[in-house]
Amino acid sequence: MALGQVFPSLAANGPRVVSLDNGLASTLLGLGVTPVGIADRSSWEKWVAEPLLPPEVVDLGVPAEPNLEVLAALRPDFILTTPYLDAQLPRLREFGTVLRYNSFIHEGAPILDMAIDVTRQLASAIGRVDEGGRFIAGMDSHFELCRTRLAAVSPPAVALAYFMDARHARVYGDPSLFNDVLGRIGVANAWTEPSNQWGFQGISIDELSRIADPAARLIAFEPIPPDLMEALKRSPLWQKLPIAQSGRFSTLPPALSFGMVNEAIRFASLLTDLLEQGA
Amino acid sequence: MSATAARRPIAPLVIALGGDVLAALLAGPRVASGFGPGSDASYDAARLVAVYATLPRLATALLAGAALALAGAIFQQVLRNPLASPTTLGISAGANLTLVLATLFLPSALAFGREFVALAGSAAVALLVLGLGMRRGFSPLALVLSGLVISLWCGALAAVLVFFNERTLVSLFIWGAGSLAVQDWSIPLKLLWQVGALAVLSLLFARPLGLLDLGDTSASALGVKVAALRLGSIAIAVALTAVVTSAVGVIGFIGLVAPAIARLAGARRVLPLLVWSSLIGAALLFLADASLQTLAGSFGDYLPTGAVTALFGTPVLLFLLPRLKLGHRVIAASNRNPRRRFTAQQAAAIVLPLLVLVALMAILFGRSIAGDWEWLWAGMQADLLALRMPRVVAAFASGAMLAVAGVLLQRLTGNEMASPEVLGISAGATFGLAVGLFVTGIAGFGGQAGFAGIGAFSVLGIILLFAARANFAPERVLLAGIALSAMVDALVGLLAVLGDPRALLLLRWMTGSTYSADGNLAVALSISAIVLIGLALLARRWLDLIPLGPAPATAVGMSLSRSRLALYGLAGLLSAVATIGVGPLSFIGLMGPHLARELGLTRALPQTAGAAVIGGTLLLLADWLGRTLVFPYQIPAGLMSALIGAPFLILLLSRRTQA
Repeated sequence: MALGQVFPSLAANGPRVVSLDNGLASTLLGLGVTPVGIADRSSWEKWVAEPLLPPEVVDLGVPAEPNLEVLAALRPDFILTTPYLDAQLPRLREFGTVLRYNSFIHEGAPILDMAIDVTRQLASAIGRVDEGGRFIAGMDSHFELCRTRLAAVSPPAVALAYFMDARHARVYGDPSLFNDVLGRIGVANAWTEPSNQWGFQGISIDELSRIADPAARLIAFEPIPPDLMEALKRSPLWQKLPIAQSGRFSTLPPALSFGMVNEAIRFASLLTDLLEQGA
Repeated sequence: MSATAARRPIAPLVIALGGDVLAALLAGPRVASGFGPGSDASYDAARLVAVYATLPRLATALLAGAALALAGAIFQQVLRNPLASPTTLGISAGANLTLVLATLFLPSALAFGREFVALAGSAAVALLVLGLGMRRGFSPLALVLSGLVISLWCGALAAVLVFFNERTLVSLFIWGAGSLAVQDWSIPLKLLWQVGALAVLSLLFARPLGLLDLGDTSASALGVKVAALRLGSIAIAVALTAVVTSAVGVIGFIGLVAPAIARLAGARRVLPLLVWSSLIGAALLFLADASLQTLAGSFGDYLPTGAVTALFGTPVLLFLLPRLKLGHRVIAASNRNPRRRFTAQQAAAIVLPLLVLVALMAILFGRSIAGDWEWLWAGMQADLLALRMPRVVAAFASGAMLAVAGVLLQRLTGNEMASPEVLGISAGATFGLAVGLFVTGIAGFGGQAGFAGIGAFSVLGIILLFAARANFAPERVLLAGIALSAMVDALVGLLAVLGDPRALLLLRWMTGSTYSADGNLAVALSISAIVLIGLALLARRWLDLIPLGPAPATAVGMSLSRSRLALYGLAGLLSAVATIGVGPLSFIGLMGPHLARELGLTRALPQTAGAAVIGGTLLLLADWLGRTLVFPYQIPAGLMSALIGAPFLILLLSRRTQA
């Protein structure tokens, strides 16, 4: 029943790290460490998609109630968590060294800078400082590449939204991870109103009419449930919305808005591809 | 008398109009803002929102309210049961459950029309509830008991499904709780013709339905086909419920309250009752929704109106209760003398080995991280044991306490349906926890127990107050309890919707998860269980005498009022502490005593002890299933035990009547 027998590759390979947060988990992968277990593993493909998660990573259940029996069996060296899950802190400390990072709740600095800072902290905590430096440098050069590609098509301003239901959406203004990425790749954010500390603003879809720029485009993140898209198409509030007209509205595969460096890279790629096609 | 009679027809009109005017005043400014001096922009957001969101929402509220009230009035007339309604008979919950199931597992079925999917569910529940009711001569209480049990079961199952499909079902969750939000006129227009057609049909039934008041034989003599009439009317009411649920989700209590108000306002004959109930129902939902939109501001769109109607409905119901003329005497305890199946020793020989078996399984049998089922043997990991033991102990202690609370309450009220869950005492405890959490940020068992206790005793106090005024008529106590329970649920639900992180903790209490049980909580719960259940066992003489009425008690020199009060207090404490462990949802307080009696344990001492062991074992089983079935995810023990318990209880109810 020793774990090495079940997952020999894991036992042999560096620190045993468990992550309760998807952004921190994908950062681990970026640092060349495969987590032994993560929370919400079952919905990774749906919300994070990239980087691919090796099949041997164990599911810990819901982030707010990670399965303690699994946690105990994994015998982690480090448990990665966020302030959002602080209620669990005393419990988690029984199972390993808890590393608590705030990578997405705005506290002054731009969110992308926070993500970079947390990446460095995490890299040094698990002894992957060199990998951390290369990972962040890779992000910078990726942004430069996107910026060059986009400069060629003089991109329109974009508003980024996620639909909550047929009447409501989250839009990502400043501060937010995606807003910071837009700045780095040279695209203007069409939504100029401030976001809350979580990096979005909850609005009713008719409020999108406040976007004055007639060339601005609206981009909605998937997954969008099929019944929701149907309801939107029937809704006069949506049909008549200028920015919802065809040619101005498009959807983008999922990118985790509560993510970190890997999610920023993924978003930059997806958006660059989309805007190049539309040019 | 003639003066009263002349005034009467005006009263319902005043109530219906008054509600509408008030609501219109509240909603007016929002509608008007859309029709101000038109802006020059091609997209006039205010106007579009008024035309395509606010106005159709008002129309939906009026139509849905009228339809539910009409359905309630028909149910009440046909079943001659003032407690009947789409909510209390479980019809709405059944419709909702099939919609959730279809959305998740058979989306293609929705293509045939959501109405038909909803109709399948509501009709199935109607058949089940009425089928069970028929065996008990349509006793109003038995009907409502089955209805509420099925309603809770459907609600629990829908909650579990939503829990595991959280992100895909967010919109469904809001809608399932009765959201009136609409994007255009398609929903109100569809409701208009569907409800309209069913309403016209129901009016055709009004006159023959009135003849039913003469009694079945007289009605038959006048040429009424009684059975066909009943079936037809119920079918209309079920269809009305299904249509509304498929359009806007579950909206509670309108169908119960509106006909009650209509009757109180003087509508006696069937036709006026149906008409005024519909108008009052429309006004009520309109008013509820307009107030919600006004009060909640930017949250208004997210808050489900269906949850709020319980907040409106309950005070009205409590106010009406003492004035409501229940036309039927209720057979409170249909089986004072169940067959004696086993002696106490035999029962113990059955129950105790089961307990040991379940406990061993709960501790030793589980899932490995690869998901395989495996036993922990002698050389097992101590750390896994340290994780499982507190949950096992907490579940058993809470279950035992709930079951004993049920025994006390059933003996005190002489009502076999009484239990902490049904009377709303557990819901009161949860509300106390919620208040404590939000007001003072309590942590630790002592503080939690204090707030849960205050909540439980408040509800208990209100119940006793009402019960005393109603001479302890069981149906009134029960109705007050159900109403309070629904109100507390609604309040807690509203707190949760407002999106506070503390709502997560609250949800854990609501669903009865033992996840947070650590060694300290397990010890605290065990000590409470031992002390409180010990007290209940010591009070066995009181418990044996009280159901016999005042004469035998006073004959042996016992102060009836003081012992009653002490026992109610004990039941309140038991419920409050147990709620900290497993939440307000489990049916253990109802099932434990029933099962003990079913085994033949009728005297106070064996019934109390037996119920404690049975209740604890059931919750242990529920917790184990919840921990292992969907590993590494977990179903909270309270929800799980409601899922197992409800069908079991239904089975029990139907079996008993055959005997």
